[in-house]
Amino acid sequence: MPYDASDSVVQLLDVSKEFMRDKIRIPVLTNTTLHIPKGDFAAIMGPSGSGKSTLLNLAAGLDRPTTGRVIVNGQDLGVLSEAGLSRFRSENLGFIFQMYNLMPVLTAFENVELPLLLAPLNRAQRRQHVEAALRIVSLADRQDHYPRQLSGGQEQRVAIARAIANDPVLLLADEPTGNLDATSAQEVLDLLELLNTQFGTTIIMVTHDPKAARRAKRLLHLEKGTFVQADIEALETSR
Amino acid sequence: MKFIPLIIRNVLRNKIRTLFTGSSIAMSLFLVVLLYSFLMIQDEILEATKPYNRIMVTNVQGLTGNLPIAYLDRIRKMDEVRSAIPFSWFGGRYREETIPFAQFGTDSKYVTDVLQEYKVPDDQLDAWQADKTGCVVGALIAKNKGWKIGDKIPLKGDIYPVDLELTVRGIYDGDSTVDREQLWFHFEYMDEALKAKQQPMAGNAGIVMLRAKSGPIMPELMEKIDKQFASSDAPVRAMTEKEFQQSFMEMMGSVKFFINVISGIVVFSLLIVAGNTMAMALRERTREVAVLKAIGFGRGTILGMVLCEAVIIGLLGGVAGALGAKLLFATVDFSRWLTGFGFLYVPWRTALLGLVLAGFIGLASGIIPAWRAAQLSVVDGLRKIV
Amino acid sequence: MIPIKYNLRSLWARKVGSLMTIASTGIAVGASVFALGLSAGLDQTLEVSAGPLDIIVLRQGSSSETASGVSEAVAREILALPGIATDQQGRPLAAPELVVVTYLPRRGNAGSANVTIRGALPVSRDLREGMKVVEGRDFQPGLREAIVSRKLAGRFEGLGMNEEFVVQDKSFKVVGLFEAGGGATESEIWTDQKVLAQVANRTGGTSSVQIRAASKAAQETLLNHIKADEQIALKAITEVQYFADQAQAGLVLRLLGQIIAFFLTIGAMFAVANTMYGAIATRAREIGTLRSLGFGRGSILTAFLLESLVLCLVGAIVGCLASIALTKLFGGQSAGTMNGVTFTEIVFAFSFGPNVLMKGALLAVFLGVVGGFLPALRAVRMKVVDALREV
Repeated sequence: MPYDASDSVVQLLDVSKEFMRDKIRIPVLTNTTLHIPKGDFAAIMGPSGSGKSTLLNLAAGLDRPTTGRVIVNGQDLGVLSEAGLSRFRSENLGFIFQMYNLMPVLTAFENVELPLLLAPLNRAQRRQHVEAALRIVSLADRQDHYPRQLSGGQEQRVAIARAIANDPVLLLADEPTGNLDATSAQEVLDLLELLNTQFGTTIIMVTHDPKAARRAKRLLHLEKGTFVQADIEALETSR
Repeated sequence: MKFIPLIIRNVLRNKIRTLFTGSSIAMSLFLVVLLYSFLMIQDEILEATKPYNRIMVTNVQGLTGNLPIAYLDRIRKMDEVRSAIPFSWFGGRYREETIPFAQFGTDSKYVTDVLQEYKVPDDQLDAWQADKTGCVVGALIAKNKGWKIGDKIPLKGDIYPVDLELTVRGIYDGDSTVDREQLWFHFEYMDEALKAKQQPMAGNAGIVMLRAKSGPIMPELMEKIDKQFASSDAPVRAMTEKEFQQSFMEMMGSVKFFINVISGIVVFSLLIVAGNTMAMALRERTREVAVLKAIGFGRGTILGMVLCEAVIIGLLGGVAGALGAKLLFATVDFSRWLTGFGFLYVPWRTALLGLVLAGFIGLASGIIPAWRAAQLSVVDGLRKIV
Repeated sequence: MIPIKYNLRSLWARKVGSLMTIASTGIAVGASVFALGLSAGLDQTLEVSAGPLDIIVLRQGSSSETASGVSEAVAREILALPGIATDQQGRPLAAPELVVVTYLPRRGNAGSANVTIRGALPVSRDLREGMKVVEGRDFQPGLREAIVSRKLAGRFEGLGMNEEFVVQDKSFKVVGLFEAGGGATESEIWTDQKVLAQVANRTGGTSSVQIRAASKAAQETLLNHIKADEQIALKAITEVQYFADQAQAGLVLRLLGQIIAFFLTIGAMFAVANTMYGAIATRAREIGTLRSLGFGRGSILTAFLLESLVLCLVGAIVGCLASIALTKLFGGQSAGTMNGVTFTEIVFAFSFGPNVLMKGALLAVFLGVVGGFLPALRAVRMKVVDALREV
């Protein structure tokens, strides 16, 4: 599929990433190029160590490539400082983790409010955003609950609310259903699909779960640091 | 400001740990505040005496030297002197007590003029003047020893080979900087007893305390006194009350040095204790810190939050320790068990110093953990399980 | 019983945390030992000063030589009493001695203090076991010369070898330094009695009479004899008693030492408890595993108490050693304070005897047991199933 580069939310241009472990160079990504257009919902699959998480970290500006450029929402991440990257993340990105990673000492409301504390918003504006986000994930009635008082599925939905509270251009999800039972996983995937279709949020989701991958618009398969041919139909048939 | 709720939640997250760290800081700060109060009160009392323009005259050889009582009149005649009294340390034994409390032979007519902040009711002062063997005692020591007006106080001579049989005729009082644990009796009573025994020690005032007419003339006056008696048998040294008390403190010698050493060690120890707590707390929260950074919290914010948390814990301990010490010494009178320590209280200055110290300990203890949290790689932090 | 190896390895695995706890208990115990050593040193100085057969005669009512006076005639009477030990030449081992106080500036601009000068007779030296001139020579009778305790020489202006100091307005030259086995004599300046009496206007009498009794029985007789003689109005006490009374001088220091030890120990206890709570929280799973393997509650409790004890004992050893080393390093061999009875400077050495070190060890055991108990109890109370589920 040909992409219009100017329309891309994420562009990885000839990106390589190596890690050093005990003086041995371990290449994780090799000369990878990737374009994720606006409004896309891409699932990345691949065996352990294929570079999925690394790819996600690079797109999030949590890690820097050894060579090549990463451009997100028109911003070359390579030119940003640590502080610049932090600000960039708080303004443009949302994260969803496998382990939900909510702050155990904060209520659902306060957890969702967390990224908004970094934005120039007053208390009332923050409240509006938080309530809107919690409504979207249908947990408005649980806003005063602490994470330990919620089920795994609910926790993950709070995490999603936190990720969308600041209206991000790009949502990065790392095994969002990895820790959930089938029903909760369904709910979470429904939610992601909704965000993608109704709100036009671009989503990149790393997953091991074929059922989750099937909900994406596009499937990318990573193997030993490079994309190999794969599509959703292929996934269906392999089952 | 927006982050305060999260910081406070983190402080309260592991309540036992915060409580114990706070308590550890509190106990040690209590000690430091107590030790420093001991030093600082001396200063505070010295400062308090400044407006009273008092000068102490002793033999050049110090307290053990001879100061003829005849000098008293010569000093009183000086133009710059408003009033003067002998102030002779008797050091007698009261009952079975091994350490003497403060007993001074003085002049009932002028003592309340020289020691103007020591208040004696007029009728009691008159009663004392009328009784040759009468005495006046401080309110605090009277309370602790249960003395009332009319009580007999027998004192066995130790430095002087005479015994005194005193009757309480008055009780003086004053504010917290006034030493309310003294006993005053008539110098003549002691001196006549010595003369009767033909003791060579008779006629020695030990100390003459005087009140100058004004503050600015004091340096000149002291020089004048020094000069006047320079070539006599007993040359004297005049110094301000402050200098006199200081020289007395100096005799305590190394105690001050040891208080400083111990305090230094304690603060260092607290840095380790509090630092360990913060390190433990953040080790458990590695993942959370990584998440905060992932969603856009900058290094500075993380650093500030951790430092703030550490300062709060430090201050919790400081409030309990420093203000606790202040409160304890304000409500409990320790002179009941320790005669001579009635002056012991915790000045605000010391309590606040303790509080500042606690905040500093918190801040310093948070530096390494905060730095490490700020430097934490998000990728590693998220990967870490615990 | 869970092998102690398990706990030791666990401590090793948490090196930084363990080290920090060792450091904080070490400091608490070390500082306490420092303070206790200070006060013990003062006590010891006064204790070793006393000869078991020695008697000191003072004016009735006075509790120290500085405040006492004995006339020449009375002193002669006392020297003639029976029961006094004699030297090889048959002379009585007894000496009237004159004690005068002078006010001298400390070295290093640290204020001034009263220092004791003793006007001695030749026999005075025989009454002080172990007193010897270690530098220079002895003073010559009739001259304004003095020998000074080596400890004192370093602490006051004018008391160094060949320096001069002033008593009343006459200057004395220091011609020798002496040592005297660490007792109270090491806080004194010695000079010729006649010279001192003249300078200080104290002719015709002395401060005290020092006597060595021939035997315990003779000591008893002498004491009673002098007490019974109302004419002379003197009191005689054993030197042991004399210095025991002066030990009051150390009251402030002893109090200080105890207060310091108390607060620091409690403070450190909380720190130890914290570390142990942390250790147990992170090892919940291990504890669950041990329980499921069949180890009982008792052995879990013991194991964790032992772990806490090991931490504190190592801390205590480090603290004691550091305290001793630092004291030696900073020349803190000798310290000085005012003797609250005589108002004169008393110089003493730190004493880290077995008594003080035992107290340090006791503090450590107390720290370990009390600090470790609540956390260990929590480990015991953990439900096996919950503990195993813990991540």
